Parts: sequence; C-alpha cells; structure tokens
Amino acid sequence: MTDGAQTRPAPAKAAAKIWDENAVPRHRIQWCPGCGDFGVLAALKMAVAKLEITPSQTLMVGGIGCSGQIRNYLNGNAFHGTHGGALAYALGAKMANPELQVITLAGDGDTFAIGVENFVHVCRRDPDIVLVVMDNGVYGLTKGQHSPTHGRGIDKEYVLEEDPPPFSPLRLALTAGATFVAQSFSGDPKHAAEIYVQAMQHKGFAFVNDFSPCVTYNKFNTYDWYREHVENIPAGHDPADLGAAWALLDDFDKRGRLPLGVVHAHPRGKKAVTRLPIWEHELKDADIKPLLQMFR
Amino acid sequence: MARGLCYHKDGSVRVITNNLKLLVGGVQLRDGVLTVTDVLGRIFTRAGLYVLEMERGYASTIYGAHQYDPMVISAQQPLSWGDPYVDILIALDFDSNPDAKDQPNRDTVLRHGRDLKDGGVLLYDSSTGEIPTGDLERRGVKVFPIPARNIARDELKKDVVKNIIPVGALFRLLEFDADVSLLRGLLEERFLRKGREIVDLNLRAAARGVEVVEGVLAARGWTDAGYRLDALPVDDPRLLIAGNEALAMGAIAGGCRYYAGYPITPASAILEFMEEHLPKYGGRAMQGQNERESIRAALGAAVAGVRSMVGTSGPGLSLKVEEFGVSGVTETPIVIVDTQRAGPSTGMPTKSEQADLFLAAYGGHGEIPRIVLAPATQEECYTMMVEAQNLADKYQCPVFFLTDLNLSEGRKVVPQSFFEQYPVVVDRSTLLREDDLARDGNGYKRFAVTETGISPRLVPGTRGAVFKVSGSEHDERGFVSTDPSIRKAQMEKRFRKMATYLAEDAKPPKVYGDPAGRPVLVGWGSTRPVLLDAQQRLAASGTDVAVMHFTHLWPFNTSAVKPILERAASVISVEQNFHGQLADVIQSYCMVPVTRIVKFNGLPMYVSDITGGVNQILAGEVAVVRVGVEAPVPVKVSEGD
Repeated sequence: MTDGAQTRPAPAKAAAKIWDENAVPRHRIQWCPGCGDFGVLAALKMAVAKLEITPSQTLMVGGIGCSGQIRNYLNGNAFHGTHGGALAYALGAKMANPELQVITLAGDGDTFAIGVENFVHVCRRDPDIVLVVMDNGVYGLTKGQHSPTHGRGIDKEYVLEEDPPPFSPLRLALTAGATFVAQSFSGDPKHAAEIYVQAMQHKGFAFVNDFSPCVTYNKFNTYDWYREHVENIPAGHDPADLGAAWALLDDFDKRGRLPLGVVHAHPRGKKAVTRLPIWEHELKDADIKPLLQMFR
Repeated sequence: MARGLCYHKDGSVRVITNNLKLLVGGVQLRDGVLTVTDVLGRIFTRAGLYVLEMERGYASTIYGAHQYDPMVISAQQPLSWGDPYVDILIALDFDSNPDAKDQPNRDTVLRHGRDLKDGGVLLYDSSTGEIPTGDLERRGVKVFPIPARNIARDELKKDVVKNIIPVGALFRLLEFDADVSLLRGLLEERFLRKGREIVDLNLRAAARGVEVVEGVLAARGWTDAGYRLDALPVDDPRLLIAGNEALAMGAIAGGCRYYAGYPITPASAILEFMEEHLPKYGGRAMQGQNERESIRAALGAAVAGVRSMVGTSGPGLSLKVEEFGVSGVTETPIVIVDTQRAGPSTGMPTKSEQADLFLAAYGGHGEIPRIVLAPATQEECYTMMVEAQNLADKYQCPVFFLTDLNLSEGRKVVPQSFFEQYPVVVDRSTLLREDDLARDGNGYKRFAVTETGISPRLVPGTRGAVFKVSGSEHDERGFVSTDPSIRKAQMEKRFRKMATYLAEDAKPPKVYGDPAGRPVLVGWGSTRPVLLDAQQRLAASGTDVAVMHFTHLWPFNTSAVKPILERAASVISVEQNFHGQLADVIQSYCMVPVTRIVKFNGLPMYVSDITGGVNQILAGEVAVVRVGVEAPVPVKVSEGD
C-alpha cells in the first residue's frame, strides 16, 4: 500500500482525502448503522487532516472489539494484538521512535477491564501518545455484556459483586497521574475533533474518553440520553490546575452531568529522546570491549 | 571420580596441584558466601587458572537460608562440574543453633561434610566453639578451625573483614599468592577509593588467616594441606562470566536496542545489565509493570523496527504466552529469553531445571511458526544470541532462547579474545527501505505470499507506504479476513518460513563419537559438559556411547536426526525434567523408542547420575531412571518466592 501522500501533496481538501486510502471501503465498514464509532472516525480524520499529519508517520494501535477496527477504516500504519494490550504496544513503539504519531484506539472493556493494568501505568509513564476510548458501557462485539462503565446514570437500590456500579475513567486517570484528561461525545464530532487535536498536540499521554453509544446493545445510554446529560466544561476552567479538575468532576457528578472538554492538561518536564538505532550502519561495530572489563 | 578415592594415604606426601573442587557455604547474605567466591574466582582467573562455578546453591529468601557455591579450579578448562564431591570445604557459618544449644549450627559441614573426599580439607569458622569432626578426620580430612568472626569483631574491630580471613587462610594452605600481590591488587581496585586503611585492614585480616593456618599446620605436624594452586602464565586476558551477562552482551552486539523485563529469578540480572548498559549503545531498557507489559512494549518497539528482546523465567513465560501468538501471526520479530527454573507455578525459584521445552515449542492457542534455541555454555550464550537476533529478524516470529538457572548465573572462564574476535553480523535485509518502495511502487503488501514465506517488513515512518498489521487472520495487505482460501494461503506462508529455516539456518545436533551400533546419549542446553564427561568416564569403564547434543531444538530437524538415531543401538535422553520432554519430541518425530535419565530434584545433573543411569538402562533394568537422592535437611528453613 502506498501511503497516498507522495502522489497528491498539495491542497488541504485533497489532503483530507488521503485518509480514505489504504482503508476498508466505507460500505464494508462493519459497524451497526448509527454506531457511535462513526462519529469518532469522522472526528479522527478531521483532527489528523487539520494537523497535517501524514499516514506514513502515523501508527494506530487498535484494541479488541468493534472500536479497535477503526484502525483499518482510515489510512495510516496500524497494529492490533491482544485484548487489553493496545497501550503497551503503543508505549513500546513510541519509546522506539518518538517521531511517530502514535494513536491508541480501544474500547472501555479493553482499556478499563482487561487492560486496566496498562492504562494505570501508562498514565504514570506519560509517553507522548494519544488514547481515545470509545466508551459505550458494553462489550458490543460479544453481544452486550457489561463493561466497567456500564450502568452510567442508572440508580440502583443495591449492588451485587456480579454487577458492580460503573467507575469513572476520568477519576482513575487523574489518580494515576495522567497529564491530559478529556472527554468527548461522538454525537458531536466537530467538538470531539477539537479535543483530539489538543490531545495530539499535548506533550505526554493524552487520554480522551469518548461517549460512543452502542445502538444495538446499550439501550439506556443512547444518543438522546447523552445529549440530555452532557455539558461543556465552562470556559473559565483552568485545565492546568489539578485541584480545579477534581472540583469540576465533583461538581458535575453532584449535578448528574457529564463534562465534555479538557478536564486536565498539564505537561510534565521531559527529557528529549531520539529514535533508537535500527539500520545496519547504526548497529554494526557496537564495541562491547568496554563491557568486558567488569568480568576480569 | 568415585567417592572415597583416597588421594592422600597415610605416609604419602602426594600433593594435588591445580586440580580441585572447592565449596564455600554459609548463611545467605550474612556470611558473604558470594563475596568470598567472587574474590576467589577473580583471583584464580587472573592467576591463569580455569574456574567453573556452575552449581548454584541459594534459597529464595534474602537472608538466613543455607547458601553454598561450589567451584572447580583447574589448570585446563574443566570438562564439567563433575560430581558433588569436593576437595576443600569452607564453612563460613558460626552461630549456635537456638533449637539445639549443645550443637552449634553448622549447616555447611552437616550438609556437605559427607561430600568431602577422603584426605580433603575442612576450613570452618570456629568463633562459637569447635565442632566434632572426628568422623571426617578418620577419613583423612585435615581440619582447620578459624575463629574468623571473632578475629574480625574483637581484634580488627570491623565485622565485614571476616570474609577475607578465610581467603587468606585458603591461600596459605594452597601455598598460593604467597606475596599477596593478587589479593592486594583486587583489594586496591575495590577499596582504594574508600581509603588506603580499608585495603590495609583487609590485608591484615588475610594475614591473620595465614597465621591461624600456620598454627594448625605446626600443631598437627602437617607439612602441607595436600593441595596447592600454582599461578600460570596468562598470555591472553581471561574473563569469569555468567550466562546472563554473556547473552546480554550478545544481544547488544547483535543489534538489540530495546529490552523489557520484570523482576524474576534468575532473569533479573539481564534486566539490570540492560538498564545499566543498553543506553550506552543508544538503546532503552524498561522494567515492565508486569510480565505482559514487558513483552507487549517489546513487541511495540519491534513493530517500530527496533530489534527487541524480553527475558524472564518460567512463571513469567507462562504470563507471556498470549503474546507468542501475536508475534507469530503479526509476524513481529522478538527474542524471548527463558532462564528456566524449577516449576510449575512458583516451583523452586532458585533451582535449575529444563522443563519449559514444551511451553516454548507448543505454548499458546492456535499454531505459529517459532524457533527454539538452547545454548550449552557461556560462549554460546553470546554467539547464539547474536544468531537469535538475526533469526528473529529474518523469520519474523518469536525466537525462544532457553537457558537455565545454573547456566544463567553460573560462571566460567572465557578468554577475552573470544568475545573480541567473534565475527558479529547484523543482517536486516528483510526490512524495506524507501528506495525499495520507490522501485517496486505498485502497492506494498505486508503479508505478501512468497516462496520462502518471508515477507518484506516496513518500518512505520518510511515514506511511500503504510502497513496494516493484525493479530486476527488477515489478507496479504493485513486487512482482517476469514476467507478460507486466504486463511490457507497465510497459514501456509507462515509455516513455509520454518521449512526455509530448516533448509537455510537450523544447525543439526552435534554428534560426539560414532552412533552406529552404540547407545546414543541425547541432551540439550546446559548439560552438554556433563554428557561429554560421562561419555569419557563410560569409555574408561568399557562402555562406548555416542552423544547427540541439541542447541537448535525447534522446529525439530527430523531429517538431520532420524537417520542417525535409527542406526544407534539405543537412545537415552538425559534431561533435567520429569518426563523427558526432548525424548517425547524425538519419539514422535523419529519414531524410535527413547529411554530416559531424568533429574528434577533441583540439584545439577552430575556425571555419576548419567553413568549410573546408563548402566542401569543398558543392563535392561529400567526404561526411565529418575535420579537424585533426597538431600538431607539438618535445619529446616522456610523459603519465600
């Protein structure tokens, strides 16, 4: 597959078209009609086009499930491995080559259940990668089992171990030390695209939780339900202020609202790193003689 | 060497020179067993002697358990570590046993005294009183009680120098380094930056050891201890190196620039080595938050084009199994080091075993191409690791590198020139360059079906093309597909790589001796030295056997192995596991019956285990010999993970 960039370099509109190449044709996309992930795909394409990123410098790492398939629905290098592993592959790839634009695209089950071990520690490690979670509260591909964010907005009299209440991805991210925490809604791709742009520009790990309704298996958290409950973060909010981020979440929770926008963004000081040696000329003649002295 | 062989008969003045086995034992962490053996090993190596320290005796605790470290010292490279029998026993333990106050706690003497050869030497710390050694003395053992702890604490006022007192004592009774030049040289390297007085204090401690030994010699009227070591001229600097260190250096030389590990015995040393040294070569090493993050991050780095490696031991390998399939199907190269230890589950974390062959060769759901290598020596840890890096790159699949605890942590003398002169080749010809894309222009296919099965690999960031790589079955371009014809083509393509490997790169097992009409001893990995030693010993007693040793285990090289084994009188597999895993593989691929000598009690395979087992099997008594007596446990210790 050619990346398309070489044949058509110039105008912005044509540049946006590049992202449709080397991809599964639109009529072959295997998402249910109306799936929230269509909104994420549209927003993602808008974001990469706006930032004039080229497909060949992009590496998308997809999770397991409907959401991870997005990697094949637009141009750009793509990798896909085990359930829960996406962030760790992305971490290694970015450590190896900081010049890559690494975007991890996964679902809420993948990220917060089987992959939570990676999510927590990638928040700490703070690699310069983006994670967009397509959060629908269910395991759609396996026909609707509950994920860790299932039950959002449902008041229960009691809970059982078998069906615990939902947890807050944003709070987990803040607790684990994430330097960019945001939320978007695939029902508003233009706004989501703006958030993705900020995420891609962030120097460090950028986590965007995107409400992406499952029209088939989540009949509660629908587009309409989200529209009634989401609310843009007020313009006066200072994302660099971690205390303000917690206060904002408390305030929204109290009011039963879901914040959209950047909750927290505060890059850490980072040491500059370069691409690791790959090619023969970079690897040959590695002189191990200095190492030998310690064994004398 | 049969037990009880008398080297030093009454009236004889025979002194054994430059050929002995030494064992240092004591309480883990407190008594500094490894400090003493490190000092001894380095000094003997510098003196031109060959040191082999392949039996690891420690426990999975930080402190308090019995620890021992046997060491063969010889003028020539020793054939193997031989048998449990030792010539000189150095017991560093000194405390009293609170559970039996009349009996001092003498773990080292209690456990290893029975392995002392007649006419051997016992040197023990007598700080808490002398112990009954009548039984040993009746066997001609010369006993040297040294109150090392007391001398250090009361005379020299510094507890830590107690470790150097037995070193001085040992050098005196071996009549070695009489001018203290070698010891002084090492101490100065270690301590001079902390001050001359530290060096002098240690030298005084060594001198006190000498005095005590001379006192015992005079009191007993002995002219010598029966053993001596003479320094030999060294024309070529030599190194005392462990398998983990050799393979880590091999990885660096072979182009590995990303390493990820998770703390686990006995692989942690690789992680520590890489963390310290890989950045000097432009690489990065990362301690994963768990075994899975380690291998996933390493795979991610490999996807980005970097030669990438993980290291672990059995429990960690079990956790990484899911990623074997990812590597296999996404055709992402990775080298996976497994420093095998006794399993299953936590098993015996500090004991060596060879029981992960099935996991490496068969582990995981579905079927993938994979390569399994098992070096036998420290030298091969280096050279075969360079090879492993190239094989992973060429065949784009997991390459397993099976060592074991004794090989990983055990040390051996290797000439420095061996590492300096080995011709390292880094071949990355399966990676595409931008020029290749420009030339072939008509659409890159990551999983192109080729005759060799090998598809050119694209590094992301290369302008002109992109890849789609998926752990799901996929078409040539990498898009997910369950089309039956595509599935068949891709499966066959992937496994064609193994046929290519067998034709182009797999090394057949090495055969020692003529197998035709003879019993053939079969083994793999670190047991080669004892197999060859046993072969010689069996020949000396009139039994001629051949040895077939595998370093390239998987895919199994049937066409190279079967014709040889079919001509053999019988096939006896020697392995450190319960079932005889290689034996099972050979039986199924070569359709020849394989008898087995297996050992799984945590102790190393000894030469006498093999000779005894072979005699039993050839006598027709049994088809499977499970060797190893129960080791006595004089003091119960609880161990952790």
